[in-house]
Amino acid sequence: MSNSTLIAAEAGSAGERFRLAGRPRLGESVLRGALVACGWFVLATTVAMLGFLASTGLRGIGEVGLGQLLTSDAWKPEAGSFGGLALIVGTFTSALGAIALGAAPAVLSAVWLTEFAPEGVRRGYRRVMEIASAVPSVVYGWLALVYIVPIFENVAHAIKGDDAPVTGEGLGAAAFLLAVMIAPTVLLLSLDALSRVPRQLRDASAALGASPWQTAFQVSVPYGWRGLLVATFFGFARAAGETMAVQMVIGGARRLPKDFLFSPTTTISAQIVMDMQEARPGTPENDVLYSMALVLLLVSVVVVLVTRAMARSQAR
Amino acid sequence: MSTARLHRSQRQGASTEAGLKRLLGVGAFAMAGVYGAGLVYLLARGGSRLWSLTAYPTPLSGVDNEVAMRFIVAACLFGILGWASMSVVRWGLERTGRAMPKRASRITVVAVAALGAMFLRDHLPRFLVSLPSETKAGGGVGPEIFNTIYFAVLSTAITLPVGVGAAVYLARFAKSQRFVGAVRMALDTLASLPSIVYGLFGFLVFVVQMKAGYSLFAGAFVLALLNLPLVVGIAEESMHAVPRELDEASLALGATPVQTVLRVTIPYAWPGILSALVLSIGRVFAESAPLIMTAGTTISRANAYSLNPFRGGETLAVHLWYVNSAGLAPDRAEVSAGTAAVLVVLVGLTNLLASRFARFGGAEGPRTKKATK
Repeated sequence: MSNSTLIAAEAGSAGERFRLAGRPRLGESVLRGALVACGWFVLATTVAMLGFLASTGLRGIGEVGLGQLLTSDAWKPEAGSFGGLALIVGTFTSALGAIALGAAPAVLSAVWLTEFAPEGVRRGYRRVMEIASAVPSVVYGWLALVYIVPIFENVAHAIKGDDAPVTGEGLGAAAFLLAVMIAPTVLLLSLDALSRVPRQLRDASAALGASPWQTAFQVSVPYGWRGLLVATFFGFARAAGETMAVQMVIGGARRLPKDFLFSPTTTISAQIVMDMQEARPGTPENDVLYSMALVLLLVSVVVVLVTRAMARSQAR
Repeated sequence: MSTARLHRSQRQGASTEAGLKRLLGVGAFAMAGVYGAGLVYLLARGGSRLWSLTAYPTPLSGVDNEVAMRFIVAACLFGILGWASMSVVRWGLERTGRAMPKRASRITVVAVAALGAMFLRDHLPRFLVSLPSETKAGGGVGPEIFNTIYFAVLSTAITLPVGVGAAVYLARFAKSQRFVGAVRMALDTLASLPSIVYGLFGFLVFVVQMKAGYSLFAGAFVLALLNLPLVVGIAEESMHAVPRELDEASLALGATPVQTVLRVTIPYAWPGILSALVLSIGRVFAESAPLIMTAGTTISRANAYSLNPFRGGETLAVHLWYVNSAGLAPDRAEVSAGTAAVLVVLVGLTNLLASRFARFGGAEGPRTKKATK
């Protein structure tokens, strides 16, 4: 058998395996078309998603009025009063509280891991945190409901007296829960950011006589601070968008929180899940939920796009 | 000289620095300790629920496909048991300097799984195979486990072709820069949306517009969308990591671009793609809010184990929420603990799998070896 027939036979069998035999051009273009279709699918669903939400949400804003939606604090769908201020305040304060509690320990642990910890410790630590960040949020919510809320209740009774009408559910418990939930994510992202610090920089610093502590906090952290900030922002976005876990511990009172620790309130996403089950599609009660989702969407899109831009500028 | 050697070769800074460093270390360890202990505690607490074994039939059995479900659960359970014990045996052998043939351990695992499924399927942990109970004690999570796995299969069936297709297109075939930019922008936006927004979209399209009611398909579609940015991102990255020479060699041999992608690029990048898919399955296990709005919170006795994707049904995560916020069963603390333990096991397994797949990448991967044989 000559060489050329061998090659021809090979090509033929390969063609058969792709069911292109005889008509390679057709199969080729069909597959190419399918690939382009995948790209269009991504684009089309995103546009459709934003379009559906925006049209329904804007209808809700049109019915209620942007002013009332953003500034009134009376959310009483059954009475036709839709003031989203309590929801917005609840979302932001719980997420900010979570960042205040959870971000610093996570970032500092990441610094310790990359700068001072031995390699084996780092790998094990990472594994634990990866699983912790993948644990479903409802599991965190349930744990908080069973263990954190009673602690908050006892503390509240100790501070406010035994007859005070507190249940422990509220903003403080929600912020604590969110802090526990986002810390692994923030830690993992911070680790990635710090591992991008070039070795040469650390070596140079050490060669100049800096102690490890000085190298860590005067070279690595300043170099990677954008990455650390990105990690914190992502934590914020995750905390603000979290739904079920927060819904379980925040109390579900549709009013502005009176104090930061013990007063029950609600968040945008928790209220959407609760009200969605009762609101009939097409009614203002329903449309307004989409308007609130639009607010949440705008916030998280802006946060994430800003962080992405920052991450890219760091990469350069 | 490495940084560590440099550091060791000079004085360790002032004593305050050493103290601060120790403080930082203690804090970091405390943090990891809390999470690790929490995970162990979840497993231990839920484990007590799992250990109650009962012979069948129980009052809650006798549903369609229930026997098949028990068979599969038994095979999985005993497969995992066999795999774990074989790992221990192999580790012990390796420590004494002997090796165990791969085939032997594989055959053992399969045999243990098959034998367990054949003979012990009537003596499984009752919690894992019985139906949930709304008001009485003693409910299980059998249909929830089934739905969770089924969701993973359904949504992967959408994510895999679309995600890999889009990644291939972006990495290899895209001509118009404007279109690529638009798709990337769309993916960035998708990645930044809170999951509740996906739920609202699914509710609006499937439940309101199409009047299809709650269905597994709607939930799976929404979850597939949710996972697209992750899968496309990692798949594209691992395709960019394929050495240029490989693709060029394939093209130079006369293969068409599509053949090159199918026979060279994707096999080489496969481990990365696979670990992305496994990670996305982990997110399917964990997600609850969008599923409540698209697939509902109920289990119907009639089609608890039905393969029909256009019925509603809840997953483990949704069940955990539902039991705590609306459940009336007197043993709901125990049910929650068991459900949480099963979830943690599932999530841990997916993480283990993902890191295993990510490890054998590139030219050493089994898939590449098979394709280039």
